[in-house]
Amino acid sequence: MQGQGPQGQGPLFSDRRERVASDSERRVRAGLRGRELVEGLTRVLGASKVLGTREDLILYEYDGAVDTATPDAVVLPNVTADVAALARFCHEHGVPIVPRGAGTGLSGGAIPVEGGVVVSFARMARILEIDAASRRAVVQPGLINLHLSTAAAPHGLYFVPDPSSQKACTLGGNVAENSGGPHTLAYGVTTNHVTGLEIVLSDGTVVRLGGKAEDAEGYDLIGAFVGSEGTLGLVTEITVKLTPLPEDKRTILAAFPTMDQASASVSAIIATGLVPAAIELMDQLATQAVEAAVGAGYPLDAGGILLLEVDGLRDGLDDAAERIEAVCREHGATTLRRARNALERDKLWAGRKGAFAAMGRLAPAYYVQDGVIPRTRLPEVLRTVREVSERYGLRIANVFHAGDGNLHPLVLFTDMSELPRVHEAGLEILTACVAAGGSITGEHGVGMEKNCYMPLQFAAADLAAMRRVKDSFDPAGLANPGKIFPTPARCREFQLHQVSPR
Amino acid sequence: MTTAAERVRPDDAMACAEALARAAAERRTVRIRGADTKSYLGDLVPTDVVLETGDLRGIVAHVPADLTVTVAAGTALVDLQRALGEHGQMLPLDPPHGAAATVGGVVAANSTGFRRARYGGVRDLLIGTTTALTDGTLARAGGRVVKNVAGYDMNKLLVGSLGTLGVITECTFKVLPVPAASAGIRARFSRAADALAAADAIARTPARPAALVVEGPTRGSWQLLVLAEGDTKAVERTIAIAAEAAAASGSSERDADLERTLGPLRELPALSDGVLVRASLPPAAQRAFVDGAQRLEGFSRLVADAASGIARVQLTGDEDDMIAGADALLAAARVCGGSARVERRPERLRERVAAWGDGDLPGLFLMRRLKLAFDPSAVLEPARGPVR
Repeated sequence: MQGQGPQGQGPLFSDRRERVASDSERRVRAGLRGRELVEGLTRVLGASKVLGTREDLILYEYDGAVDTATPDAVVLPNVTADVAALARFCHEHGVPIVPRGAGTGLSGGAIPVEGGVVVSFARMARILEIDAASRRAVVQPGLINLHLSTAAAPHGLYFVPDPSSQKACTLGGNVAENSGGPHTLAYGVTTNHVTGLEIVLSDGTVVRLGGKAEDAEGYDLIGAFVGSEGTLGLVTEITVKLTPLPEDKRTILAAFPTMDQASASVSAIIATGLVPAAIELMDQLATQAVEAAVGAGYPLDAGGILLLEVDGLRDGLDDAAERIEAVCREHGATTLRRARNALERDKLWAGRKGAFAAMGRLAPAYYVQDGVIPRTRLPEVLRTVREVSERYGLRIANVFHAGDGNLHPLVLFTDMSELPRVHEAGLEILTACVAAGGSITGEHGVGMEKNCYMPLQFAAADLAAMRRVKDSFDPAGLANPGKIFPTPARCREFQLHQVSPR
Repeated sequence: MTTAAERVRPDDAMACAEALARAAAERRTVRIRGADTKSYLGDLVPTDVVLETGDLRGIVAHVPADLTVTVAAGTALVDLQRALGEHGQMLPLDPPHGAAATVGGVVAANSTGFRRARYGGVRDLLIGTTTALTDGTLARAGGRVVKNVAGYDMNKLLVGSLGTLGVITECTFKVLPVPAASAGIRARFSRAADALAAADAIARTPARPAALVVEGPTRGSWQLLVLAEGDTKAVERTIAIAAEAAAASGSSERDADLERTLGPLRELPALSDGVLVRASLPPAAQRAFVDGAQRLEGFSRLVADAASGIARVQLTGDEDDMIAGADALLAAARVCGGSARVERRPERLRERVAAWGDGDLPGLFLMRRLKLAFDPSAVLEPARGPVR
């Protein structure tokens, strides 16, 4: 992904020459296109649910990532039956279907790379039920993540996954991407909190899976669907677990002279037996940007800053906080600050949650990577990141979920001509993550950003097994095509210097 | 079929994949056997080959500070726990047959115990797998990191697949430090509904008990068993919360050795007496389900992980009562918004009691496509699971 400034309105630059699907690639699909498609959809759904003018369509050509592609039509369904009807129509006419929530995704998941219909869930955004007795909520896919926790709060409950974009991103998008967030260290990511789905397959078949119970008989189709990035079908209803709100929290800021000390503390804290609710790490470059933008009170002279939180029952939280502080002190922490109240806690978190947006203070554009490593390898891989930064002459800020080993190096740049190098630097970092036993993405997804990189992490047999799942759900290949799996047209260049998997 | 099955015991994952490819090419059906603790699940038909996973054994990688462990699937869960214990860690799974079951069997059967209440089930703890497929390949999924969204989460498909998609040869799990403190409390109620209400009250607090089990009737009363684990002060507070919740309609006492009670309850599926139905229910629907179960002729006892809504009902006595009772429970679970299976029934009733009732599961056509995609010659575990 590459953002641009504090507003996050979309990329300043987009390297269309390199990343946007070429016309020839789009013509691979010979389905209904353009005016005819818009007219056909209008006949099926009514004019109020279909957008087809150029001015309307260009609003849907990008998401939070770098890639862009203009849809042939945009559909705004009101109910599941609309989604089923449009899918049937698209299936009949060989038209790709690309679901879209709030468009905050960072891997191009909502980009119609092979053309077709973008399905916006903006009008299916209701909470259908909060079942406090079963600790479940039934929601529509367009519901904004934070709105669910807000509505559940009077019942003493909340929805755990809290991506940084939670004020904008939708539950449907969370399901598609298996979203995480800072607080998933102890309580899990989206897949650990979904018990029911209603999905519409690319041929229009509506399937209801699971419900409010934890297990369903047969294969765990919900487990396979969550994180499938729209490539197995569209989600039209979601049942999630709600979790009792913690009684209290302790939030600690620990500042260290060096990143090595900060990252070594992470494993040391885990080794004591504590599993904090969150362990976030920021390097000096990130801290400086955040301070300039938000004024969260982070020390500017620290090489690395940890933001830690423990929560749950009030009892024992102070003990846990003291143990964390002791470990940090042993590892050379120069500043330790514990939030004394909710206001101070929110201020500490405001810095972390506003970190990406704050990058605009440092450079006009950035490209955020999303790799995962076993957390004991943090010091070593962070040194590699630094080395890559120096070798490429590109500044890289680090703001990430250290407790999960989920890195977010932000490669800063100013000029579009730097993009190829920026991508190369990002790829080197990902390669180091995979070499350390990790993954090319922890929460942003593969999308069309990393589909060519999948062979870094997976052998042909691994990908073939995934392909069987894809073909079982979407035999026609119309559900968000061009995502997750390497495509011959776009990945040819990459495969030339592909390393052998693992 | 009268000839004895051919025994195959591969000593590594590749040999396992090759054995499957051979079987598939010759259309010879395969049964997969770990410790052979759960042969009662589903329907068990004779197969041409029995593939034993016992030689796929040992810990492949364990970096304690990463809180992950990679283990060959034929390893006994107890051996894994012992090895983790040497580092003060544990895999927080406490399935039935825990003394003998293999790791692969626990995953393939989605076999979870009571600690799911706090730590999650197999699907929440399994982060990586290697699976031998019938085309002779080894497919890896996930990895050794706790967060990973690269590609589909194939691990989830294997949990509870009963060996019908492939043979799991290696698993990677999240593990946790052994908790600093642990304590138990036992409460008694005259009615099941009261025990469930107390359990619900506890589940609605941030206490996150390690186990929240309702069982009965035992000598005419219903018990709520609460296990608290974690930091000493939080454990004490959890016990206090449980005692308060119980006080509304029952009496409670601390139990320093709650495991002595939980152990036999966990092993309910190991008892071959009668018919055992396992239901997964919306937590709030448990009361209605239990209420109905108690009225059945043949109702013997019920054990529920009340936090997760997973209830087991044992039916005993007259055969026709057991069969009618099992049917009624499967229907009741569905009406309550959940699902159920007949987990165990006496051999003599296998023909008369279908494990999945009428077998009409939501999404069954998708499951069939998946089965066909992974096992096109249909040699793996025929009749074992609901997908046929």
